[in-house]
Amino acid sequence: MADGVHQRLVAVLQELRRIPDVIAVALARRDGLLIAHVLPKSMDPKRIAAMAAAIVGTSEMAAAEMGLGPFFQSIVDSGHAKMLATGAGEEGILITMVRTDANMGLVLLSVGRAVQAITELLEQSATVPEVSM
Amino acid sequence: METVAGAGRVRTGIQVLDERLNGGFPRPSTLLLFSDKPTEKRLFAENFAVQGAIAGETTLYVDFFRAPSLARAELSRFGKYPAERLIVVDAISNQLLLESTERYRIKDIDSITEISDVIVQAIRETRPSRIVIDSMEFLADHFPKDVVLDQWKRIIDEAERAGSVICFLFINWTYQERDLTAIRALSDFIVEFQSSMRGGILRNSMRISEMEEGGIRTNWIPYTFKDLIGVTVYFPRIMVTGPFNAGKSTVVRALCEKSISVDRMGTTVAFDYGNVNITGIEAEVFGTPGQERFEFIFKIFAREVSGVLLVIDATRPEDFERAKHMLDLIGPRIPYVVLANKSDLPGAMGADTIASKMDLPQGTAVVPTVATESKGVRDALLILAEMIIGVR
Repeated sequence: MADGVHQRLVAVLQELRRIPDVIAVALARRDGLLIAHVLPKSMDPKRIAAMAAAIVGTSEMAAAEMGLGPFFQSIVDSGHAKMLATGAGEEGILITMVRTDANMGLVLLSVGRAVQAITELLEQSATVPEVSM
Repeated sequence: METVAGAGRVRTGIQVLDERLNGGFPRPSTLLLFSDKPTEKRLFAENFAVQGAIAGETTLYVDFFRAPSLARAELSRFGKYPAERLIVVDAISNQLLLESTERYRIKDIDSITEISDVIVQAIRETRPSRIVIDSMEFLADHFPKDVVLDQWKRIIDEAERAGSVICFLFINWTYQERDLTAIRALSDFIVEFQSSMRGGILRNSMRISEMEEGGIRTNWIPYTFKDLIGVTVYFPRIMVTGPFNAGKSTVVRALCEKSISVDRMGTTVAFDYGNVNITGIEAEVFGTPGQERFEFIFKIFAREVSGVLLVIDATRPEDFERAKHMLDLIGPRIPYVVLANKSDLPGAMGADTIASKMDLPQGTAVVPTVATESKGVRDALLILAEMIIGVR
């Protein structure tokens, strides 16, 4: 059953990856560990997960510090591409890389949908009991 | 192929585990690979079988689910082994009307006496050092309980006479608690398996307990599987922390072939990350910043922490309080090792002095290191790994 959740998460990422101008998609946990990804071979998924967690964690705290209300998303805007790190439920961070000239309206809409699907899947999987260590 | 230290023992091939077991499981002994739901215990059994064949030991694999050709193909994912060392007891070919060239074949799968006759004969003739019975729940599902328990004992007796380590895979679907107690009593070691989902990530772990009074008992050991490497112990997070300028990033670099550091002007502002792969252990290593103003980073990464490498500058006792505070930030009851770094510098304090100055609990490991030359760093990680695995 637990494996099924993983497969469905990957399916959500793949669907988002098919949107025009989306280059790469990954899902990290808020503590920087990788959950799933559909990244090109040239990118190290574990490092990207750790980076995204640091970006989101830092952004979240900056938002709180400045009284900006609840955190939704960080965007890293760079020369060749943008990276969106979007909170997906309590646990997840959805990482989406898109080309600079992408249609951001469509991208944001698709990211929003993916976030909703991921949030539901992660909440389901949360009911599986944790290992006692 | 038996080494002196492990004479009369069979290695699991998972190095840290073999060390904890004083060289492996003793011959003869009976292992129960147990879980109450379908998990990855077959991985352990297959890995165990292949490790035996690789070491040149005769290994007997009794498979009720797969044709021998399929079983052999799947076993080769664990590494290249000499084919003649692995003997498969074929319970499938006759049912599927397949040709079989296996020496040991079960013709009538509906007769438990025949099943156990073939197994006993195979054990008697090949005198294997390892036997895997995959699995007992197959028998438990098909035959009356008392008959199964009788044949179970018969197979154990034969394995004992042959000096074999025998593994029974068993998922309990139907048996009552008192039957389970009887089954446990037949075993020398119980290896339990769990898998669970935590925030979208699947984790597998196992625990080994010796049935004998005062025997070995490990903690839950997280593990992972990779093609051709087999089963490795896997720590999802080792935190490297300590005061400012103690050498944390250098420790991460020394441990990991490839690592990254988010730093500015020589000081870490976000984190260091690297992946370690040594002697049957894989670990993700996360280094924290040392300065107080970056403490919020701890809140992000301090979850599911397997263990901590606490790096201190052995020449700066004034930072020791800060070091202890950082340990508290990560959380209570997490195994840690203190790395007394820069131990080559003049004025560096010895391990005992540091332990008393820091007022560390009795028995805390303090390892002198020179991270810039990679000295002592791996030893510290191995000590930490042993602490996490734990043995009573």
